[in-house]
Amino acid sequence: MEKRQRSYAINIVALLVVFGAFTAVNNAGLINKYYMGIIITIGINMILACSLNLVTGFLGELALGHAGFMSVGAYAAALFTMRSGLDAGIGFPLALLFGGLVAAVVGILIGIPALRLRGDYLAIITLGFGEIIRILIIYLEPLTGGARGLLDIPRITDFTTTYWVVAVTVMLLYALIRSRHGRAIVAIREDIVAAGASGIPTTYYKVLAFTVGAFFAGVAGGLYAHYVGMLNPTKFNFNYSIDILVMVVLGGMGSLTGSMLSAVVLTILPEALRQFSDYRMLLYSLLLIVMMLFKPSGLLGHYEFSLTRLLDRIASRLGIDQAIARRREKKRLKSATQPQPGKPLLTVSDLGIAFGGLQAVQGVNLDIQKGEIVGLIGPNGAGKTTVFNMLTSVYQPTTGSIELNGHSIVGKKTYETNRQGVARTFQNIRLFKEISVLDNVKIAMHNQAQYSMASGIFRYGKYWGEEAEMDRRARALLEVFQMGDLADSKAKNLPYGQQRKLEIARALASNPQLLLLDEPAAGMNPIETQELMETIRLIRDRFQVAILLIEHDMSLVMGICERIVVLDYGKIIATGTPEEIKHNPKVIGAYLGE
Amino acid sequence: MRFLLQLINGLQVGSIYALIALGYTMVYGIVKLINFAHGDIIMVGAYAVLLTMTVLGWPVYLSIPFSILVCAAMGVLIERVAYKRLRSYARISALITAIGVSLLLENSAQLIFSPTARPFPTIVSMPPIVIGSLRVSFITVLTLAISVLLMILLTIFVKRTKTGKAMRAVSEDMGAAQLMGINVNTTISITFAIGSGLAAIGAVLYCASYPQVTPTMGMMPGLKAFIAAVLGGIGIIPGAMLGGFIMGIAESLTKGFISTQLADAVVYGILIVVLLVKPAGILGKKISEKV
Repeated sequence: MEKRQRSYAINIVALLVVFGAFTAVNNAGLINKYYMGIIITIGINMILACSLNLVTGFLGELALGHAGFMSVGAYAAALFTMRSGLDAGIGFPLALLFGGLVAAVVGILIGIPALRLRGDYLAIITLGFGEIIRILIIYLEPLTGGARGLLDIPRITDFTTTYWVVAVTVMLLYALIRSRHGRAIVAIREDIVAAGASGIPTTYYKVLAFTVGAFFAGVAGGLYAHYVGMLNPTKFNFNYSIDILVMVVLGGMGSLTGSMLSAVVLTILPEALRQFSDYRMLLYSLLLIVMMLFKPSGLLGHYEFSLTRLLDRIASRLGIDQAIARRREKKRLKSATQPQPGKPLLTVSDLGIAFGGLQAVQGVNLDIQKGEIVGLIGPNGAGKTTVFNMLTSVYQPTTGSIELNGHSIVGKKTYETNRQGVARTFQNIRLFKEISVLDNVKIAMHNQAQYSMASGIFRYGKYWGEEAEMDRRARALLEVFQMGDLADSKAKNLPYGQQRKLEIARALASNPQLLLLDEPAAGMNPIETQELMETIRLIRDRFQVAILLIEHDMSLVMGICERIVVLDYGKIIATGTPEEIKHNPKVIGAYLGE
Repeated sequence: MRFLLQLINGLQVGSIYALIALGYTMVYGIVKLINFAHGDIIMVGAYAVLLTMTVLGWPVYLSIPFSILVCAAMGVLIERVAYKRLRSYARISALITAIGVSLLLENSAQLIFSPTARPFPTIVSMPPIVIGSLRVSFITVLTLAISVLLMILLTIFVKRTKTGKAMRAVSEDMGAAQLMGINVNTTISITFAIGSGLAAIGAVLYCASYPQVTPTMGMMPGLKAFIAAVLGGIGIIPGAMLGGFIMGIAESLTKGFISTQLADAVVYGILIVVLLVKPAGILGKKISEKV
């Protein structure tokens, strides 16, 4: 049996076994109404925590209005059931779906403006929106019952529904995270600038994560509404959003397993400690502070539990596993470069940018041919990195034009420029630190796969084929850099030189035609620099990319560049071969002072 | 006439928001942290005045300075215990900690003082000031006068004194300031102390108009003051004042002419619009991340 089918079979059997066991215990009359209530609440909280984790843990944005989305879903689902008059068998799933969809729509409406902001501002604005939702629910009295609440909702949420909704939610979220779309979301958390430069449309994925989070919060709201039978807007206040946040933070920001565990613990604990209910929020607040001070990533960090992996491990302990030899084929990587003889690859004319009154770069003209290695040198503060930032659309120039293969990239977003064929590394390494070396490379391959969100979540169609292809190509690329055996290490654990190499590998993964290297030899010793020179030549020959590099190490620049451009005070003062530059009096003047 | 009256009300509330917003803005400017617990300092200040006046029978002129000291000490303590360690951590950790501290203060107060509201004693009893047909309560005039005076003093302090210069240096670049011999920890503590002290004065002025003290009373004015700070451009002292006045006037006019219920929604609405149009706030400058 194939690996993935085995994994599915194991998980489905496990789900059925747990379900069967619960149902048997329940049928035997061992679970009274009170305990059943707790179990259903645990399920609802699991969905809420996992969906918030997508936004706060995986996307890395603190959202404080999750209860607001839950309330939208709760009211929408309840009103759907009450107004449609459908039979519970068909009506209830539809109501849950409807609740989720309405919450998702509200999520998009809020997300598009709110996600233009980051960090602290986003937290506040989601808090604000959460409160506005609550005020509007009270204000729209004819529909929602206002402050009195919405009464007489059919109480049809039972164990079976909750169990399967939780199972489906967690599976879908897990599948999403393990797809290229999920990797894009995590890349934004790790480094939004590098994500954009690797071709990830950051705004789109922020809104997406936010919307999916809102959808599942809405579904949880629907379950809640049909469980308690009445809705009151005061339930969904700021404190409730905090309750959910505590679950996410405690379990681990970036671990669905953690969210589920803490949903169990934090639902049972207050029930068990009823006589101390006054102290609950006090305990929560201390928990938040202590957790952040001593283990900011939460109890489980990014760890996910996998039943398949556990069984494999047990099997290998017992010696009955069949070691699957890893296929390591070194197929030649496809290159996206399409040679168009005659025309330069990159044409920059009269490029300039001003920050306030400071003219950082002015009148830069530059042509780069295909497969050429060009050096960009100049004293500190000459504007070299600023040129890179304009070439990758991180900054927009105030004057001039940049054309790649005849297409302008001025006014484009960073990810669009990357798609057109410009990739870069950064002066101070910007890797996706907390994730694996392999995934760092895969993130940059985002645009070479086409499979849709749905295909990724439900795992049909192109998903398997394209993922396997990405995996193969990513590993092959790492082999080129002799990093194949490091594929599963976290990027932050690599030594400095390897991190620089990984950044180059990541840049290459997006199939660029022009590769920009910002001080690749910074911090390397002479032997490492020598190796780097070999690597750069190899990259050019193998991937047929043009390379523009900023470097202060003159042995590297002189040894490898076919042409050198010298920048001083934002203007080009000289261009020519290494020999010419070495003897150019202007250049010597700029470096040594006249 | 009604409009003028609402406008004056708005200025009064707005100047209180501005006083509290100064604390947010100063702290944000220096450690880039939204001190969620700042709103709850208002509550601490209110209880300090309430208890010293009603239980211990202290006079106003002793009680208010005491409350300022308590709040300042509380601010410094919170920074030292909860925030200091997190300076180099991800921003989200510090923000979650700040929320934790805020909840801790509120819930401790609930356990110590019980959740029931207590009446706040009268601080000043002076006849209203009458200009023509306009009757303005004395406390309104006093609030405005004190707030404006404090803002001027603070501006002079930050611009003209050595400590003020140190504060500006630390907010610009903590590492560089340290290398220039500035004691960063002391400077940050002073910032928290001043911000929290201003919150105590804000608390007294707030309670003079809304004479009720509860453990969660700091949440709403705190949140609105924060919005005021963001509105004006967080980290900028005149911005906090401008934002405070805009918030107060908008709120007061909505309450007076549209609907009391929707006042809060309008306040959030203004914030959202401003952030979308000018994310750095009205007086803020756009700073793009250095790559």
